[in-house]
Amino acid sequence: MSTHAEKRHKYRVGKMTLLDYIMFIVLIVLALIILIPFLNVIAISLASQKEYADNPMLLWPKHPTLDAYRALFEDGRLLTGFWNTIKILVVGLPLSLFLTSTMAYGLSRNKFPGKKIIFFLVLFTMIFNGGIVPLYLVMKSLHLTGSLWSVILVGSFSAFNMILMMNYFQGLPESLMESARLDGAGEWRILFSVVLPLAAPIMATITLFYGVAFWNGWYDAMIFLRKAEMLPLQNVLRTIIVESSTNVSNAASVDALNKSGFSTGMKMASVFVSMVPIMCFFPMLQKHFAKGVLTGAIKT
Amino acid sequence: MKPAALGPNKNAKERSKTGNLFTEIWKHRMTYTLLIPGIIWLILFAYLPMGGLSLAFKHYKANMGIWGSPWVGLENFKYVFRDPTFAQAVWRTLYINIIKLIITFPFPILLALLLNELRMRKTKKLFQTIFTFPQFLSWIIVSGIVINVLSYDGLLNSALQLLGLPTINFLGSEPMFLPMLILTDIWKSTGWGAIIFLAAISGIDQDQYESAQIDGASRMQQIFKITLPNILPTVTVMFILNVGGLMSAGFDQIFNLANAATQNVSQVLDVYIYRITFQSSTDFSFSTAVSLFRSLVNMILLLAADRVAKLMGGDGLFR
Repeated sequence: MSTHAEKRHKYRVGKMTLLDYIMFIVLIVLALIILIPFLNVIAISLASQKEYADNPMLLWPKHPTLDAYRALFEDGRLLTGFWNTIKILVVGLPLSLFLTSTMAYGLSRNKFPGKKIIFFLVLFTMIFNGGIVPLYLVMKSLHLTGSLWSVILVGSFSAFNMILMMNYFQGLPESLMESARLDGAGEWRILFSVVLPLAAPIMATITLFYGVAFWNGWYDAMIFLRKAEMLPLQNVLRTIIVESSTNVSNAASVDALNKSGFSTGMKMASVFVSMVPIMCFFPMLQKHFAKGVLTGAIKT
Repeated sequence: MKPAALGPNKNAKERSKTGNLFTEIWKHRMTYTLLIPGIIWLILFAYLPMGGLSLAFKHYKANMGIWGSPWVGLENFKYVFRDPTFAQAVWRTLYINIIKLIITFPFPILLALLLNELRMRKTKKLFQTIFTFPQFLSWIIVSGIVINVLSYDGLLNSALQLLGLPTINFLGSEPMFLPMLILTDIWKSTGWGAIIFLAAISGIDQDQYESAQIDGASRMQQIFKITLPNILPTVTVMFILNVGGLMSAGFDQIFNLANAATQNVSQVLDVYIYRITFQSSTDFSFSTAVSLFRSLVNMILLLAADRVAKLMGGDGLFR
């Protein structure tokens, strides 16, 4: 290899060795393994029934058609799911940011009686929880089951996110808050007019964390919601994909498919439609989640 | 909490120790009001359910609710531990998760090494984007993709057929269930896992590589003598943290990729709890007892993993 004492990560044009080419090819193959299933899904969603039946290995439809998408929107179930998830996000995101930032700011303040106990109570929820059965019974006794509120409320606080935010707040210069306090501002005023305007990066990160959790969430809704027209997107998708294909493996699957009323094209169209928002936000997601993960262990 | 923040308030802190507790509380009344919304949430959705675990020691009567039902001591646990399906579910959970962990664990490390050796910066970014994308999709979406690709008449089997190879019933056969889980987990999570190791690699002191190069070390030697030993602490910690999740890992994946044909092999503890609670009509006391067992074992695994990670010199979960 090179005996030059140059920085290893520098761009070294013209120094591609055989090993470099092999590794590059391996990476390309791996990337294709990730990409081809997506291409297949999109191609099937755009192909006619006949074209798919002729060739399930379809990667590029010759006669693209939006029939599957049209049928999907006419059916309307996925749209209802979309709408329910949007409702959850519109109410859940502000609520979760409110709950998380108030507690994070409160706990980032200097020592006060009970601070350690309260922090421990938050931390403890990361180690131990009651599990789904008591949670279901509590939700039922609060008369929240069967309402979207159950899903919104359960998802609107996470100890992990709170601690990330608290760490950020602790890093802000105390002098700013001190001078606001001297001007007679209360802690709530300081949070909303001094701290939060300085906390845009962490707010973005945490919003994305909660957003992805709400978007991808399905378990709470499956437990707490009963009526089909209330189910969020993921649950509708689950009904379309998972529950209608219990017997994909055998020849009877054709019958099952026909019965479910969803053609393969429509199924793949619904997978694609559910994926689009994540795709749109992906560049942001990638950046912020990496930051969150790399913050590493939770500093207490 | 933070030394810099404590500085100007040192006197106040000392006074608080001797001073009246109530004056201290009154002084911080505004701070407490900030905590109230969060505390209400914690009580309602974390601590009430935890209290609800007391149902494990009660006989649940719907009309009396969690709190009014009569105590029965350890009776529920007698039934739980005698139930062969419970024992099977515990065993199945450990079996699936241990094998999955052992097989999938090296992949992100290998991918990180591979990406790190790539000289083209922009291509590297592109590869990272492609590899990490599946991680952000729910297992329901991924199941849609997986069912499409792996089903009997799907992409992969059609390709096998075309090559004259025997087709594989990935989704509907019991012996293929675990390999299918491993395969799909690698597809979804490897790229994201690699990010953590890539970060560890980028933290390695570049001088080590420079002097190795001057000494004429080959790239393979550099990987084995510098890169791998340097990221070993991260590798250890990641492995131990995964061990902490053995009892609860993989539920989303298993639940969404299981079907009638794989009903028996997919019954891990969380699936078992869901099925006995919401599908068959066992009493809530019984499933709460199983829930309590699960939460306790989970906690013990997590704390043990954390302790071991710290002993190995890592950061652990809680610093």
